[in-house]
Amino acid sequence: MRYQNATAYRFLAPYLLIFSIFWLWPIISSFLISFQATRTVPWRFAPTFNWGRLIGDPAFFNALKNTLLILVIQVPVMITLAIVMAVLLNSPLLKARGLFRFAFFAPVVVGEVAYSAVFRLMFNLDYGIINKLLNSVGLPRIDWFSNVTPAMAVIMIAVTWRWAGYNAIILLAGLQSIPQDVYEAATLDRVSKLKQFFYITLPLLKPIIVFCAVLSIIGTMQLFTEPFLITERGGPGGGTETLGLLLYRQGFRSLNFGYASAIAYTMAGLAIAISLVQLWLTREPK
Amino acid sequence: MAAVTLKNVVKRFGVFEIVHGADIDVEDGEFVVFVGPSGCGKSTLLRMIAGLEDISGGEIAIGGKVVNDVEPADRGIAMVFQSYALYPHMSVEQNLSFGLRMNGNPKADTERRVKRAAEILRIAELMKRRPRQLSGGQRQRVAIGRAIVREPQVFLFDEPLSNLDAELRVQMRVEISRLHKELGVTMIYVTHDQTEAMTLADRIVVLNAGNIEQIGAPLDLYDDPANRFVAGFVGSPKMNFLAAQVVGNDGSATVVELANHGGARLRKSLSGAPPAVGAEVVLGVRPEHFFEAGEGDCDIAVKADVAEHLGSVSYIYANAGPEELIIEREASRQRATGDHMVVSIKAGRSLLFDKSGARIR
Ligand SMILES: Nc1ncnc2c1ncn2[C@@H]1O[C@H](COP(=O)(O)OP(=O)(O)OP(=O)(O)O)[C@@H](O)[C@H]1O
Ligand SMILES: [Mg+2]
Repeated sequence: MRYQNATAYRFLAPYLLIFSIFWLWPIISSFLISFQATRTVPWRFAPTFNWGRLIGDPAFFNALKNTLLILVIQVPVMITLAIVMAVLLNSPLLKARGLFRFAFFAPVVVGEVAYSAVFRLMFNLDYGIINKLLNSVGLPRIDWFSNVTPAMAVIMIAVTWRWAGYNAIILLAGLQSIPQDVYEAATLDRVSKLKQFFYITLPLLKPIIVFCAVLSIIGTMQLFTEPFLITERGGPGGGTETLGLLLYRQGFRSLNFGYASAIAYTMAGLAIAISLVQLWLTREPK
Repeated sequence: MAAVTLKNVVKRFGVFEIVHGADIDVEDGEFVVFVGPSGCGKSTLLRMIAGLEDISGGEIAIGGKVVNDVEPADRGIAMVFQSYALYPHMSVEQNLSFGLRMNGNPKADTERRVKRAAEILRIAELMKRRPRQLSGGQRQRVAIGRAIVREPQVFLFDEPLSNLDAELRVQMRVEISRLHKELGVTMIYVTHDQTEAMTLADRIVVLNAGNIEQIGAPLDLYDDPANRFVAGFVGSPKMNFLAAQVVGNDGSATVVELANHGGARLRKSLSGAPPAVGAEVVLGVRPEHFFEAGEGDCDIAVKADVAEHLGSVSYIYANAGPEELIIEREASRQRATGDHMVVSIKAGRSLLFDKSGARIR
C-alpha cells in the first residue's frame, strides 16, 4: 500500500514540481511580499507598510467602491438576463437553436481588444451607433466617456454583453436536466407556466444560479480589461478605476510590488468572503 | 365518477401514425389495463386521455363530455408517471399539496385531503422528507398520493411499478387494487407486464403497433383470444405455437397434422367454417395444457433441452425440429436435460390460427 503510494507520487512528481514553482510559490511569495517595503533597496520587512497604506488610501477606496458598485448592479442584472436567455433557448418553440446557442456564446470567444474597440466605437460621442439611436428617438446624445455615471454604465453593459451568454449556456444545461414530466405533473395540477417557472424551475436551478453568481463575483472582482481599454485606464479621472486596474498601476507602472500584493490579497479575500456569504444565504434548508 | 370513451382516436407524430383509430369504452368505476409490447402506443394513448398530447383524429370523452380541446387540468383526471415525477425540491407534504395551494384551495380543505391521502397510503410518517430521501416504493406511494389529493374522476397510471423490484411490485399491485376498491373510481393503467394486467384489470385492452387487438376480461383473453398475438401475449410462459397443416375435414371437425412431430394428427371440432384442406395453420398450446402421454387426443415425443424447477412446477424447454416448446409439469422434478418424454395435446385445450394469425374457431 505504502509502496503503491510512493510510486503514485513519483509519477505525480513532475506535475507537483511545476505546480509548486509556478502556482504555489507565487501565492506564498506574493503574500510575503505584501509585508515588505519594496520601494527601497534592498526590500525590508515592514508588516504595516503596505497594509497600513491600504487602509488609508483614497485611491484604494475609490477602486473598491467602483468594483463593488459594478458587482452589485452588474452581476444580478446579468444573471437575471442569463436565466431569461436560457429559458428562451430551452423553449420548444425556438427555431435554429444551435445558431442562437452559438451567438450567445460567441462574445466569450471574441478577443478582448477587438471587443473593447467595438464598444468604444459604439458609444462614441459623435458617430457611435448608440448616440445615433438615442438621437433618432428624440433623446439627447450622451457623452459616455467624459462622465462617471455613463462611463460606469458602459462598463456594466460591456461586461454583461460579454458574459451573459456564457452564463446562459451553463444555466441551459441545468434547465435541460430538469425532467419534463415534472412540468407535466404541474400542468395536470393546474399550475400556470409562470408559476411553474417560479415554483419549479427557479428552485431546481438554484444551485447552478449560485454557481454562476460565484463565478461572476470572482470575475468582476478582478475586472480589468473593460476599464483599462474601454474607459481608458479607469477614466474619467479614476471614475471607473477598479481594484484590478489599481493593482496593475501599482505593480506594473510604479513597480510597487509590496502594495500590489496587498491589493491582490484584498481582492481575493473579498471575492472569497462575498462568495461564502452568497453560498450561506442560498444554502439548502435542512 | 366518470366513464371514458375513445372514438376512432388517431395519433400522428409528423408523418408517422402511431395510433390507428382506437375505440375503447371504459365504464364508470372500471379498472382497465392497456397492455402491449414496448412502443405499441400505450403511453401515447394514456397521454392523449390526460391531455398531455394532442389528439390527431377522433374523439375522447370523459364523463360524457368531449375533452379534445379541454385543458389537462380541467379533465378531472390525475396521472401517476412511471418516473414518479415528484417535485424534487419539495417535501412529501408540499408535493401532495402543491397543486391545491397553487390554485387557492382553502387551507383547511387542503390539509384534510393531504391527511386522508397520507392515511390511505400509509405515508403519514414521511411527510417532512424530500423525494430523494425515500425508497422507490415510498416515492410511488407519494406519486399516487398526489393523484388522490386531486380527487379525480379518473386515475391514469403509466407503468407505475416498472421501476420497483419484483417483491415490491407485487405488494404495490395489491395496494393499487385495494385503492381501486376503496375509492371506486375509474382507473386506466398502462403496463407491458401481462401479469400486472391479468391481476389488476376488470378488462384488458391488448395493443399491438398502434392497433387494438382485443378488449376483454383477463380470463376471457386467456381462454378465448381473438388472434395469435393476444394468445401469445396473455399467459406466462408464452403459449406454444406448432406448425400444422389441414389434412382433412369431416362434418364439423378438421384434422390437422403437426409438421414437426412425425405426422402426429389432431382432430379438432370447430363451430365456424373449416379451413381448406392443405392450408397451413398454427396450433396453439399453452405450457400448462400438455398432458401425460395417452391422456390427450394426440401424443408427441420431445427431448428435454433444459429443465427449470421452480418448486411447485417445472418448466421443460424441449426441442422438436425447429420448434422450441415450453412444457409445464407439476411433478417432474427428476426430469433432466436430454430426457425423452411423450406429452399429449387435448383438442379442447388447444387453439387453431390461420397463417395470418386470425383465430379459427
Ligand atoms: N414525441 C414523439 N415523437 C415521435 N414519435 C413518438 C413520440 N412519442 C412517442 N413516439 C413513438 O410512438 C410510439 C409509441 O410510443 P409510446 O411511448 O406510446 O409507447 P409505449 O407503448 O408506451 O411503449 P413503452 O412500453 O416502451 O413505454 C413509439 O414508436 C415512439 O417511438
Ligand atoms: Mg410507455
